Amino acid sequence: MRILVVEDDALLGDAIQAGLKQSGYAVDWMKDGASAEQALATEPYAAVVLDLGLPRLSGLEVLRRLRGRNAPLPVLILTAMDTVDDRIKGLDAGADDYLIKPFDMGELAARLRALIRRASGKSEPFLEVAGVRLDPAAHRVLYRDRPVELSTREFALLHALMLNAGKVLSRAQLEEQLYAWGDEIESNAVEVHIHHLRRKLFPELIETIRGVGYLMPRDKGA
Amino acid sequence: MWQRASLKQRLLALVLAAITLVWLGAAAFTYLDAREEFDGVLDAHLAQAAALLVVQASHDLDELETEHAPLLHKYARRVAFQVWEKGHQLRLHSANAPQQPLTNKEHGFSDTTIDTHRWRVFSTWDESGEYLIHVAERADVRDELARDIAGNLLRPLWFSLPLLALLLWIAVLRGLRPLDRLARDVEQREPDNLAALDASSAPREVVPLIERLNRLFSRIDASMQKERRFTADAAHELRTPIAAIKAQAQVARSASAEAERLHALDNAILGCDRAAHLIEQLLTLARVDTLERNVAEPCQLRDIAAETIAALAPVALEKGVRLELLAGDETTVRARHGEAEPSGARVPASHLLPQSADYASNVSEVHGNPELLRVLLRNLLDNAVKHTPPGTSVQVSIVREHGTTSLSVSDNGPGIPEQERDKVLERFYRPLGMQASGSGLGLSIVKRIAEVHDASLQMAPTSENHGLRVTVAFKH
Repeated sequence: MRILVVEDDALLGDAIQAGLKQSGYAVDWMKDGASAEQALATEPYAAVVLDLGLPRLSGLEVLRRLRGRNAPLPVLILTAMDTVDDRIKGLDAGADDYLIKPFDMGELAARLRALIRRASGKSEPFLEVAGVRLDPAAHRVLYRDRPVELSTREFALLHALMLNAGKVLSRAQLEEQLYAWGDEIESNAVEVHIHHLRRKLFPELIETIRGVGYLMPRDKGA
Repeated sequence: MWQRASLKQRLLALVLAAITLVWLGAAAFTYLDAREEFDGVLDAHLAQAAALLVVQASHDLDELETEHAPLLHKYARRVAFQVWEKGHQLRLHSANAPQQPLTNKEHGFSDTTIDTHRWRVFSTWDESGEYLIHVAERADVRDELARDIAGNLLRPLWFSLPLLALLLWIAVLRGLRPLDRLARDVEQREPDNLAALDASSAPREVVPLIERLNRLFSRIDASMQKERRFTADAAHELRTPIAAIKAQAQVARSASAEAERLHALDNAILGCDRAAHLIEQLLTLARVDTLERNVAEPCQLRDIAAETIAALAPVALEKGVRLELLAGDETTVRARHGEAEPSGARVPASHLLPQSADYASNVSEVHGNPELLRVLLRNLLDNAVKHTPPGTSVQVSIVREHGTTSLSVSDNGPGIPEQERDKVLERFYRPLGMQASGSGLGLSIVKRIAEVHDASLQMAPTSENHGLRVTVAFKH
């Protein structure tokens, strides 16, 4: 899961980036509205954490332009303004949720999980495909009710595939979702992680569509 | 006490006093005028009476008894006459006339006193020269008449004055009703209602008062709004550093790697320093915001600059930035001679200008508050050190020219684009690319302190498209 954080405050931005990484997200951090807009236009993010008081282009304007392009991407705004008016303005401009500074990192991560889950059309907090149960909040995977140990990247990859169960994802799409700018990507990283997932769970869980990408077949009943 | 008395009572008392005074004046004038008139008329009567007696005396005085004439009028007792034959034998006189002559004069008017009474006498001889005739009238009659007339004029005053007072009181109450209304309006206001009073229906005399009040209201309103905005801004500005501290602390708690944990903890501590700095700047701004322009104490800018630079030099050196002070005699001399020397060339003043010691010590003198000037310079130097690259220098120069003493701080940083220069003076404005370690208040504080000192604030590049020079010019 790749998240865009837009925050002009150096210390706060650094903390959000670090905190969301701990929760298993790949995080890009932009310090002004204009660079945020550029990033949003080119990169596939699962969600955006947006500060409102930004230099060059205000957070509200970034949000309006994003919604103007009909991008359905979940947006959570961070604001130092705590009047009802400000919150209404933010939500009306197209925000899905808001947090008032100072906030709790755990709450920020939880709200992002909820936003991402709802954006993929699911209402229950767990993802379940072919007997594999993934709990994004607890960072846990159960296979046939037994816990499975996964690395952060493996978990993120499995999460992406399960969210898109029934759809083919290219290697580039998966890389974009897993890695932030500046992260080092080994050329066969995705293959290695897929290999590990098949080994730790079961081989048929992820199908390889040669020359195209990977697919997690949807449950027949689902 | 007079000042505390009611306006209405005062008005009433003054008007009544004025009326009484005018009335008394009129009575006094009437009395004097009547006296003069009576003198003329009654003197003529005396002369007339004497003329009648003369006619009488020349014809039938012989037939008259040496007796007194009868009283014919209430004033008759106060009128007397004597007829002297040959000037020494009293032939005829009125009942109230004495035996001795009424006067020693034999012609015309005279005043005389007989038995404590004053008399006005007219004397004449008849045509034959046989009889001397004195006709007299008590002078107090005239006084009495004049007093009566003046008294008649005064009498209505005693009963009309209370009536007048009552009517005046009603008139004053009615006349001052707009003032009562204004007082009631002001009294019934909510304490936080600072809307302007309506001056359109107010009497002309009260309009300046209302205008002053309205001006005062709007000033209080502006300063209250400023305060409210400031409090709100301050609260919002503190949210971000606190959010950063909290987030960093939470990252540190759930960090699995030691390096990550230490990084987050260091950042949390940095965040605390930043919040503390912000609070300090907020307090400074709040303090200078409420100052009036009455700070005037001779300050040596040179000493203030030297102290401030000494305090900041260690921090600057840590960053590899040199601080320099170009102040006092040599710069002044250069400025005075208009020599375009490179700033490096310094010539001691004593070699160029023979002058008294106190001239040299006054070179950097301005009137102001030394504590505030230190704050101003510290903020300028903080900014300069923050933005100038390591290995370069920051210069503080003090120049006196055309009665203006200028304090400039020049750095070798990226400078501020022209269109941003006004904005950076606004509160909490941070230009893009600036590390958020600043409070966004430094230049607002500088601007406010310059205002308090009636000094102008200018920003320009140090050299072409490079660096920033902030100049504060103190007028004298």
